[in-house]
Amino acid sequence: MTKITTENYVAEARKAIKNQVLQRALADLQNRFGRGTAECYRQLPEGPDLRLKAHEIRMKTIENLDVVLETLAANILKNGGHVFFAKDSRAAVDYCLEVARRHQVRRVVKGKSMVSEEIDLNAALMDAGIEVSETDLGEYIIQLAGETPSHIIAPAIHKTRNDVGSLFAAKLDIPYEDDPPKLTWIARKALRQKFLAADMGTSGCNIACAETGHITTVSNEGNIRMSTTLPKVHMAFMGMERVAARLEDHDILLRLLCRGAAAQNMATYVSYIGGPRQADQVDGPQEFHLVILDNGRSRILADAEFREMLCCIRCAACLNVCPVYAKIGGHSYGYAYTGPVGAVVTPLLVGINRAKDLCLGETLCGACQEACAVNIDLPRMLLALRAKLAEGDPAWGVKPADRKEKLLWQAWSMMIRKRTVYDFVLRLAALVQKLMPQRDGMIRRLPPPVSGWTQGRDLRPLAKESFIQRWRKGF
Amino acid sequence: MGTANQKEFINRIKMALGKPFAESRQKADLFNSEMSAESRAILEHIKNRNAAERKKLLETLIEAAGPINLQVISCDDISAVTGAIAGLVRAKDPEWGDQKSVVAWAHPLVERLNLPAALSEQKVPMFVTGSKSTADEDLRQQVIDAYIGITSADFCMADTATLVMRARPGQARSVSLVPAIHIAVIKLDQIIADLKELFALLKWDPHERREGLTNCLTFVSGPSKTADIEATMVHGAHGPREVHLFVISA
Amino acid sequence: MSNEQPVTLFIQCIVDTHYPAVAEAMVRVLRRLGISLTCPGDQTCCGQPAFNSGYRRQARTAAQHFIEVFENSEIIVCPSGSCVNMVRHHYAELFQNDSQWLARARNLARRTYEFSEYLVDVLRVEALGARFDGRVTYHDSCHLLRGIGVRQQPRTLLQHVSGMDFIEMRDSDYCCGFGGTFSVKYPDISDAMVTDKAKNIMATKADAVVGCDMGCLMNIRGKLSRLGSDIKVMHLAQILAC
Ligand code: SF4
Repeated sequence: MTKITTENYVAEARKAIKNQVLQRALADLQNRFGRGTAECYRQLPEGPDLRLKAHEIRMKTIENLDVVLETLAANILKNGGHVFFAKDSRAAVDYCLEVARRHQVRRVVKGKSMVSEEIDLNAALMDAGIEVSETDLGEYIIQLAGETPSHIIAPAIHKTRNDVGSLFAAKLDIPYEDDPPKLTWIARKALRQKFLAADMGTSGCNIACAETGHITTVSNEGNIRMSTTLPKVHMAFMGMERVAARLEDHDILLRLLCRGAAAQNMATYVSYIGGPRQADQVDGPQEFHLVILDNGRSRILADAEFREMLCCIRCAACLNVCPVYAKIGGHSYGYAYTGPVGAVVTPLLVGINRAKDLCLGETLCGACQEACAVNIDLPRMLLALRAKLAEGDPAWGVKPADRKEKLLWQAWSMMIRKRTVYDFVLRLAALVQKLMPQRDGMIRRLPPPVSGWTQGRDLRPLAKESFIQRWRKGF
Repeated sequence: MGTANQKEFINRIKMALGKPFAESRQKADLFNSEMSAESRAILEHIKNRNAAERKKLLETLIEAAGPINLQVISCDDISAVTGAIAGLVRAKDPEWGDQKSVVAWAHPLVERLNLPAALSEQKVPMFVTGSKSTADEDLRQQVIDAYIGITSADFCMADTATLVMRARPGQARSVSLVPAIHIAVIKLDQIIADLKELFALLKWDPHERREGLTNCLTFVSGPSKTADIEATMVHGAHGPREVHLFVISA
Repeated sequence: MSNEQPVTLFIQCIVDTHYPAVAEAMVRVLRRLGISLTCPGDQTCCGQPAFNSGYRRQARTAAQHFIEVFENSEIIVCPSGSCVNMVRHHYAELFQNDSQWLARARNLARRTYEFSEYLVDVLRVEALGARFDGRVTYHDSCHLLRGIGVRQQPRTLLQHVSGMDFIEMRDSDYCCGFGGTFSVKYPDISDAMVTDKAKNIMATKADAVVGCDMGCLMNIRGKLSRLGSDIKVMHLAQILAC
């Protein structure tokens, strides 16, 4: 049901590269957050290796996810909350709609959540005639503009203050204004009305705590607290992996989450929510629902090669250092999850063939793993996905992506086995390269399938003699 | 307990983990029902904290508060706090409309401030979210109308300048959230070092664990902020634009 | 110093075919240290391009050939961080279901070094008496830096080159956009990345940019050439041989 546009990777990337505003915003984002996060990790008393410990904690939880989730659910029920296990988007959305109907919900305020993007909750609610307001300032801007987020944490980085000013002027019917503080307060005022009028607030969950029966929400703006405090129903969505067993685990995970997400030691607001308001309490929602979503995650869980991906806490640190993301921005990834995390998880969720460009269109530079709050080996999984695309894999329903290419590599593997054959091919290539246009000793244009190289670069031609040949002659 | 779809869901996970029939493999060390030596040491450490260490924590707190624009005011006695709060009420303008009103928790420490008397001079009404006699709807309106919300907190983590608040009767969550200015009052001995200490207390301290996290445990580290428009930092996105924390040392 | 163990040269295919002068420079540097060298004439490619493209069977063929060629060598030195990363880390992955080959691969991995790493960490050599008059900046290749953890070694060696004015570029550890076949398959993205890299290099006003991997350097050189810049692109060995 979600609009998946992973096929447009190359076209969207090209558009993003040409967009100067976006390029500047992305560079600025990485400059601040990418470097800032690395510095934060260095300043941890335990040092950056705390990420390895976090990985261990996450992996242990994932390997016992059945027990952990049952514990979480039981504890939330005990506290008077409701838990719904949704096997896919449809089930999750239907449950939410049913609760909304029961409470005659007409207005929903949304705290930012990746999962609700994944299940395309907005569309479903709006189809049911319910007004949905995004409340994170960035998300609100995006919603007013009718777009999709381009960054997990900073969804509106591709918008300038002038864009926002014009947008607010047009949509909120106010005079044009482009001062960021004033624009922020305009949104504050507009959204305050939404919070007060809403019948239901939705949120995601950063990391639940099974043994106490709480979800957590983390934000700097306070919008999630508003959404989960003022309306009479709170509906939280979490991917089934977003849970830790013990409260102690939250010490490490929360610290790393805040550092990874925004180079902060602690976000402004963190809430542990474990149920509706109690009989003697004066505020808080009257009902609390938690929707736990599978939607393809159990398939990832079942594959030892990719299980590690479920350690992800969606901090977006990997986006803030990825040199490919820095150029192509979030929209190119064509799904809720962008950047390196998207490059691995999106193919696994929506289909590997369909999202093949996401895992092929990366350089494997390894910056993402170094930045990852829980040290996920993303490059290893990118390679594993590529292996599936090369050979096909019935278990994941993958068909070989490019049979011609496969033949080329087949031929290559015969060539590299014998130096005599290798040398012969080199000689042939040296002959062919004489036909290529050259200048100052550099090749200016190559034919397909390697023409991409010379699109923006020159190529040093093959040497007259390879080093091995020279060595043989006695160098 | 557990519905049909829960069973099915959990079974899918068990299958994926390759343990369709075996029950809870590592349950024992997945959760810890016994306090670890580490937690015990942390609790001991908190209990035996001396005055000098407390002062040190306050310094850490003040240092951490700076970059996040949390105002920390350390006062020797309670009357100084009352005076300072009255000063704030006088100095600050309401955000919506021109009517000044204040809302506060029903909390022993806040009550000791004797604020209604101090504010009556300025003719600023103070509502308390404790009295069950007020209908929830009226109470909600009082919070919405107030431009200053006054709370205490359960703890304050020095390391990150974080107020930790449980949800309790009479202590509305919205008081620290909806008004434009949040004022919190705590005592020096409520300052703890960090998350590790907090979680050790909540989970293992015989007194604290009885209440546990409650249905909503909130951390607040400074005023609300956003940088969503051209990465410009702005305070007061949705939550309070100012937070003042009074620490009473006596 | 001549009692050092003999070294077997593992020549990255790009160096072999496009940049033989780099290998020659490496030979000069090592010989100057009194190290005796051998260079198996039947070596071809470690298999990294196939592996990175997902063609593991083909990569395995290359890896087996590599292992057979180098198995009897005591110390193997290569002028490329990414090739060493392949042998050191990815061979194990390629042979995870084949214990015999896995053992052979592991054995070999332990004896394979990248050039600057070998000089600084194994030979404990820092000053090589090289001279280069001019301003130099250094690009951190990804697999060298994050794959095998070499950051300081090349810098240390450069700092001992006399006459040189060393300057760090902005984002020296950002990927140059090479990525093997990525550069051909996704030319727009690759080009955007290498354009940034070239700009950062040019901003240093360096006379030469130095690196330890000709894959990246070929990419950077190709971009600088297209931009009409005459900044020299040199492998570390070439500077040290001066
Ligand atoms: S992969 Fe790692 S860095 Fe990226 S979002 Fe997930 S946890 Fe954060």
